[in-house]
Amino acid sequence: MRFSNRGQGDRTLILELTSMVDIVFLLVIFFMVTSDFARDARAEVSLPRLDGEQMEGMEEAGMYINLNENGEIVLSTSEPPVTLEELDAKLRSYISGEGAPQVTLRADRNAPISMFNQIVKVLESSGVSSVRMATEVPG
Amino acid sequence: MRFSTKHQRGGKNLVMNMTSLIDVTFLLLVYFMVSTVMARPEDRLTPTIQTQNQSAGGSDADFQAQSVDVLLRDGVQVYQLGQQTMRTEQELRQRLSGLPLDLGVFIRAGDGVSVGFTMAAIQAARDAGFRQVTYVPLEK
Repeated sequence: MRFSNRGQGDRTLILELTSMVDIVFLLVIFFMVTSDFARDARAEVSLPRLDGEQMEGMEEAGMYINLNENGEIVLSTSEPPVTLEELDAKLRSYISGEGAPQVTLRADRNAPISMFNQIVKVLESSGVSSVRMATEVPG
Repeated sequence: MRFSTKHQRGGKNLVMNMTSLIDVTFLLLVYFMVSTVMARPEDRLTPTIQTQNQSAGGSDADFQAQSVDVLLRDGVQVYQLGQQTMRTEQELRQRLSGLPLDLGVFIRAGDGVSVGFTMAAIQAARDAGFRQVTYVPLEK
């Protein structure tokens, strides 16, 4: 992109770019701040439309377990669905790290409760005592 | 922010070439515009979890009165609180509001119901004022 700022002959054409550059910088900052680079762990599911506990502030992301409408368990959008046994193994390796395990269960609102219950049982047997169940804030 | 593109001192012109800067900035802008995904705002419910065997261990009459079963009855999803059956989250919230809050409440869900309907029960318990909400998967 090249804007000519020189006129012909003795006359000089000045293109005032200050406002445009200001706006573009603001847009760049906006997109940099709002971009979410950790979306790989969040699969596309229709979460239950509930208010939730109206949490405030930032929390540790922890481990995400996605349960889609078909009852498939997805840990990463770039990987195929996993079985309950594979989930159990992944959970145990995750929990073996330091600190209290933070697990977020993102279950589709139309997912079968039987698979949801199986996941809860695996979580409980792995030593997770409390699970964050994701909701979609209505409106 | 103001960049002077032309500065005159005496007879000499000082020209600041901003072409490259603007090119890079536009590239950054396009990159972030394309890569940004506008996510819907999410929240969460945080019940404690327990298996049915554990919850049965310390059960008594009071404990049973404070549990909500989410069931499929005649093809319809319902909430069962003691002898009372409710079909909506609002009805359940009203009933739960009359219970003692310090005992906590257990939400138990069996096969056939949806995740959304079950989580609405947890939400109703939170809205009713319960701090201690426990989710228990019902055995078949």
